[in-house]
Amino acid sequence: MARFRLGHAKMLLSSFQSVASAVLPSNDALRESPAPEANFMPISPTLHFEAASTLAVVVSSHEPLLFLSDDLKIIAASASFCRAFEIDPASVPGRRFSELGDGEWAMPKLESLLMATASGSVNIQAYELELKRLNQKTRQLVVNAQTLDDGDINHIRLLVAVTDVTDARAEARLKDDLIRDKAILLQEVQHRVANSLQIIASVLMQSARRVQSEEARGHLHNAHHRVMSIAALQRQLSTSPGGSVELRTYFKQLCQSLGASMIADPERLSIQVTADNSAVEADVSVSLGLIVTELVINALKHAFPDERSGTILVDYQSSGKDWTLSITDDGIGMPAGSDAPKAGLGTGIVEALVKNLGGEINLSDAGPGTIVKISHQESAGSQTSFSNAA
Amino acid sequence: MNNGRPVVLIVEDSALIRMGAVDLVLAAGYEALEARDADEAIRILELRNDIDLVFTDVQMPGTMDGIKLSHYIRDRWPPVKLMVASGAAILEESSLPSGSRFFSKPYDDHTITDAMALLLLSETPSLPTA
Repeated sequence: MARFRLGHAKMLLSSFQSVASAVLPSNDALRESPAPEANFMPISPTLHFEAASTLAVVVSSHEPLLFLSDDLKIIAASASFCRAFEIDPASVPGRRFSELGDGEWAMPKLESLLMATASGSVNIQAYELELKRLNQKTRQLVVNAQTLDDGDINHIRLLVAVTDVTDARAEARLKDDLIRDKAILLQEVQHRVANSLQIIASVLMQSARRVQSEEARGHLHNAHHRVMSIAALQRQLSTSPGGSVELRTYFKQLCQSLGASMIADPERLSIQVTADNSAVEADVSVSLGLIVTELVINALKHAFPDERSGTILVDYQSSGKDWTLSITDDGIGMPAGSDAPKAGLGTGIVEALVKNLGGEINLSDAGPGTIVKISHQESAGSQTSFSNAA
Repeated sequence: MNNGRPVVLIVEDSALIRMGAVDLVLAAGYEALEARDADEAIRILELRNDIDLVFTDVQMPGTMDGIKLSHYIRDRWPPVKLMVASGAAILEESSLPSGSRFFSKPYDDHTITDAMALLLLSETPSLPTA
């Protein structure tokens, strides 16, 4: 709360009832005494008029405010205070703080703190208390109080702000409960998703073990890989806060799982992941993960025939909104022309996902092997890039 | 071991996942036994003394979950090898008996059979199997 410096305006405004108040000779208000009245011994009462502007500010304050003399008599209370605590505004001026309402404000500890504030020894900052009224729910209040410095040490005034935080506290508690419930629910959902994916994966593998046709088995294995690709993402999502997915960890998990089920001899074939620190939104990562799955499966199946050994490299680099995903192998290279295999489901999946991501596929010879580059250039569409001009 | 074939007990409450696990254990060339919860698993372990490995789910109805079950088995039948799988993403292997392996669901069949083969190969330091 800002400190106010009051002028010594002595004018009276008819619209406000100015209160003439006596000035205490001494400030030992903190002295422990059963009856505070005992301290109140005016020697030479001086009339001191409150500045009308001060009273106007207090009365019209949106935040419940009390303006007190140093013996805790009320000079003015804001309309908001009277409204919030159901006190008749007419009954307020001149009354002692402890006599407000039906005496529910008579709290010895608060009173002693206010007296200490008046004496200048403390400032009340965010003092919390409970206001108990007959037949009403207890309210939780936060009190701030400070003296107003108008340059006259014999003219001590207290400004007391009383905030009712009951509803805000209840709301905060409710929010905490909701957040906790949500976390539990989310965990439950993730658990269910994992179990459902396990069922799908198990059924696919059982079918794969039963079918006679090598081709059908291949398709079932591919379906299983796609399910596991989504499962790896699910796992990654459940451990990462904020719903964003760190690609390097995700791709590593993905390739580890693909390798475990597709590479019989890890000495012969390996998959490496070199992605930068990019993290992307969940739905983008699903697409990227499925693209990696398809292209890695494709390379494992076709690039290394006849026990050929080699490496598949999965890389992702981004700069601003532009990114490039590349899958490189050092295998036999892609057959072209009439030798090119008919596009399968995998190709269809990759093309659809790349289109969805606003990317472009570029296939080139790695000599030996193949590079499949999928890149997304934010500036590619509308803006003319400088490098294109060259 | 039963006639030279390792015996694996699968503990899983979901029928379809259990079926899949039994299938993969059989495909790996082991004998498979199945239980729907910890209590049934313990009854089977009491009846047979040839079980080499228990592969259990974590979240199951009944008096014990898979983690408690694995500790119970380690205490009562120390030579039995333990594998635990759960749909909960993070579970520390340190909360399991030493030497047991944890897998998050969905697990890859190959990963499971590879781990089974490794565990079944490893020698048990305590009692020899009957």
